[in-house]
Amino acid sequence: MPTNSLSRRKFLQLSSLSGTALCLGYYFPLSADAAQILNASAEAAETEIELNAWISINTSGKVTIFSHRAEMGQGAFQAIPQIVAEELAVVLKEVNILFAPGDNRKYGSQITGGSSTVRSSYKNLLKLGATAREMLTEAASTKWGVSKTDCYAEAGHIIHRPTGRKFHYGELVVEASKLKVPENITLKPRSAYQLIGKPLKRQDTPLKTNGAAIFGLDKRIPGMLYASVERNPRLRGKVKSFDDTAARKVPGVKDVFLVKMKVFNTDREGIAVVANSTWAAFQGRKALKVEWDDSGFEHVNSEDIFRQHKEILETREGISFRKTGDPDPILKQGGQKIDALYQTPYQAHACMEPLNCIAHYQGDKLEIWGPIQGPDWVQDYLSEEMGLKRENVIVNMTFLGGGFGRKAFMDYPYEATLISKQIGGPVQVVWTREDDLNQGPFRPGVSYRCEGMVANGEISAFKVRMAGQNIDHFSDDKRGEANSSATEGFLESYFAHLKNVSFADVPFETPIPIMWWRSVYASTNGFAFESFLDELALAAGKDPLEFRRVHLQEERLQQLINKLEAVSGWKSRKKNEGYGTAITECFGSYAGYVVKVSRNAENKVQIDQVWAVMDCGWYVNPDTIRAQVEGSVIMALGAATIHEVTFKDGLAEANNFYTYHMPRITDAPLVEIHVMENEADAGGVGEPGLPPFAPALTNAIFDLTGKRIRNLPFDLTSV
Amino acid sequence: MQQLLTIKLRHFLPNKTVTFPAFIFAVIALMAAMSSTKEPSGLDTSSLEKPRKDSIESVKAFMQVYQVLMSPRCMNCHPSGDVPLQGEDSHLHAMQPQRGKDGRGLYAMKCANCHQAANTPGLHMPPGNPNWHMPPADMKMVFQGRTPHQLAKQLIHPAQNGHKSREQLLAHAADALVIASWNPGEGRTPPPLSQEEFAKAWVKWIKKGAYAPAEK
Amino acid sequence: MITLSVNKKTYQLDVDPNMPLLWAIRDVIGLTGTKYGCGAAQCGACMVHLNGEAVFSCVTPVSRAVGQQVITIEGLSAGNDHPLQLAWQELDVPQCGYCHSGQLMSAAVLLRENPNPTDEDIDQAMAGNICRCGTYSRIRKAIHHAAELQKNGK
Repeated sequence: MPTNSLSRRKFLQLSSLSGTALCLGYYFPLSADAAQILNASAEAAETEIELNAWISINTSGKVTIFSHRAEMGQGAFQAIPQIVAEELAVVLKEVNILFAPGDNRKYGSQITGGSSTVRSSYKNLLKLGATAREMLTEAASTKWGVSKTDCYAEAGHIIHRPTGRKFHYGELVVEASKLKVPENITLKPRSAYQLIGKPLKRQDTPLKTNGAAIFGLDKRIPGMLYASVERNPRLRGKVKSFDDTAARKVPGVKDVFLVKMKVFNTDREGIAVVANSTWAAFQGRKALKVEWDDSGFEHVNSEDIFRQHKEILETREGISFRKTGDPDPILKQGGQKIDALYQTPYQAHACMEPLNCIAHYQGDKLEIWGPIQGPDWVQDYLSEEMGLKRENVIVNMTFLGGGFGRKAFMDYPYEATLISKQIGGPVQVVWTREDDLNQGPFRPGVSYRCEGMVANGEISAFKVRMAGQNIDHFSDDKRGEANSSATEGFLESYFAHLKNVSFADVPFETPIPIMWWRSVYASTNGFAFESFLDELALAAGKDPLEFRRVHLQEERLQQLINKLEAVSGWKSRKKNEGYGTAITECFGSYAGYVVKVSRNAENKVQIDQVWAVMDCGWYVNPDTIRAQVEGSVIMALGAATIHEVTFKDGLAEANNFYTYHMPRITDAPLVEIHVMENEADAGGVGEPGLPPFAPALTNAIFDLTGKRIRNLPFDLTSV
Repeated sequence: MQQLLTIKLRHFLPNKTVTFPAFIFAVIALMAAMSSTKEPSGLDTSSLEKPRKDSIESVKAFMQVYQVLMSPRCMNCHPSGDVPLQGEDSHLHAMQPQRGKDGRGLYAMKCANCHQAANTPGLHMPPGNPNWHMPPADMKMVFQGRTPHQLAKQLIHPAQNGHKSREQLLAHAADALVIASWNPGEGRTPPPLSQEEFAKAWVKWIKKGAYAPAEK
Repeated sequence: MITLSVNKKTYQLDVDPNMPLLWAIRDVIGLTGTKYGCGAAQCGACMVHLNGEAVFSCVTPVSRAVGQQVITIEGLSAGNDHPLQLAWQELDVPQCGYCHSGQLMSAAVLLRENPNPTDEDIDQAMAGNICRCGTYSRIRKAIHHAAELQKNGK
């Protein structure tokens, strides 16, 4: 078992249940080369070696692989074991997969964000699996007294090639665990992969077709109560007073009290209603009479925010983020100049599973269960806030019913902890859909002023200024610096070609809580950059795809453009069809789209088909990539054409799905997906497919109608 | 939308000082089925005058009826398409439930899957009635987009009104689902007339001859 | 006391008759496959079968289910092998998976009433179920696949 600091007695108890286990793992923050594998058996546990384990094998041969990252739909629960199992040579469906608890001393960063699960850990995971396999092979060859080179690993067994004799891993694990950890492990060449690169079935799917998967909201702890918190609906508002007489009379309600916490550099206040069922807690909330204190902060309105963006973009240069050459003198010359303002709205994450968390505070110890994207962050944060030893804060991940960035924040586990502390027992704190949508944090709305010039069929100057809230400001010391994501989404290859290009951030502050939202600034930047690229291409009299081919000289992008052109029939488009393209880069991957639109019988614009080409280099599971692109199209379509969060007098107007409409199956277009094959390192998969969809769509609409859409969201049916 | 409707209606609504020659010339024949004098049960019409044809009074009464029928509470379930409408602005029902053959929805999207026997408490929550449904596919009884003239004719035409006889038509004002319009659930405005006013105007329209306002 | 039949098992519940069926199933009976998504009959995550109809349990008072047959996702099949479940597994439909209990309960009514649905039928039947991960195109494919399985007696 991989639990650290196991006492001898505990370990022996476990051993008697499951046999002796071999545990292997890396100290993760180290580079792959310096990674040190630790191994342990019963003897090792006596010496209290801290284990850092992804793999556990018991003497009956059962293999357990730990997922140190969250499963929120993106496929980590499949990808991590698929990588380890490849080099470990085990049958994936016979492997037990468990979520590792939060502990970055053991696992390195566990934050499931930035599409980083595979790309940041695959090299280590491969080496980890291979090392275990080598040690098992050596144990077998020693037992048989044969040469190691005559032995090979397959399907959880070491086989002696000349004689066909075999041991299952469980028969070797005790001996293997006593061996010196080998160095200079040889990894399989990609051509020899049997699992990696194959569209293997997800291991979590059967759990998700019969209700067996346990999401945060499904977790139950003995003696657990339920709570829900009536927070000031006005962002950053406080509680003046409240009357809980009626709430306490609701059958099932056990307790009502004020919860105060620091969140987003400010106080958040609400009234917690604790009850014996979720519904009783909700009913209790409805019976509360609360007088809110809405003073002391700005009551924002959406129109004001976007008007201010426009004003500062017209009058200020902002903080330079990146500059090559100088576009300003060129833009002052005569010529084909375009000066355009793009605006993108605030959005909510709207995970299907509303926020929730179980906390059990026990004085010197705290245990958390929930849908959590960063269990190590929660561990660090809560141990500090609650004054507990880090190892006494145990953070357990469940399956996440969506995450998209929202469940990477620590506010809801913290709030659950405070409520558990107050009532002295375990409690599940449940957010309503309304809480989930109107409390934030939100994707920031961002405006972009894009200025450009074309000469001789190419871009001679390209200047972008952004204005919008900066997520970097979670850390106060980042104030005064440009948004570090000012070019996120913009292909690096453009910089190699463009002579005069600049990106700047015109700082803008407002008290709306903000947070990463799938693909972060690339989701808004990408729309502005790739729409503007289209405008420049057309100003230059060039075909938009050809224009990109000229400006993006990198081989992988040339291949991606060729692929897009070939699969979409870009060159053989018919009359009355609009074609648009966009290509963006984020989190180490390239994604390109072609969208085809036309007018239907009612003269409304409809999306006929979407072609997506994803280049994420080395990859684990092509079907997961397809699924992520399919999902990205829908999420991007929603954010571009269906929903936005607006604010009025400091209140988010999004409330439930009746005001924050979601794309439904009736909105889902036909999507064809192609995954590029090359030797590049792994890039991200969960997010990079999102940013180019909206600009490819609006570029297609321009192609069809001549109407340039510069503000999102827009109504597809009224173009 | 609501405001727009009111403004439009002003053109139709008879004003005390105005005469109605157009209406008189536009009288329509009353259906044979409607000549019966038998009063429907459950409807108190004792205060009404004896049935006597009077196109001006009938049309006047219908224009009141029309205001109600075109209000979101009635029109939302009598749409021109096969998807019901929602809200004060009569937008398409968000998840686009279909009428279905019997007017009770299709597959997993049957009306009663969300609409309970009573209103679900809370803003934006599904309003309810034990008999919640739309007109069936073979008798759509569309209100949306109908002029007063069209709607009046449609209402008295058995082939378009659900094969209702005059008695049944009179009784319709007391139908539980119709009455439910005056208990629309939180956040929804009831029709512009009270239920009593509506019933009175409805009965009066029919009893005075069920005349249709002039085609504009 | 409220007597409920859920997945052919009888439960006696001491709850307010107005408590939504969703919370009776999840918090009192303890079957957590049925999900809370919106509480307002907007998203379909809470769908269960009430006498075979896919009701939105978040707005259905538990009293409505008295004396009726309630089937939840846990009771859709005994071995996770309803044609739809098999099709969902074959095509790896779910991503986060949270909405799919409802998606499956919704699709089950469609397949029962229309064993050979078109894309349009599927869209009409499934428009009440929101999937934030955007698995809609796979849902369509999987329902067609399940229809095939059903025809072949699987």
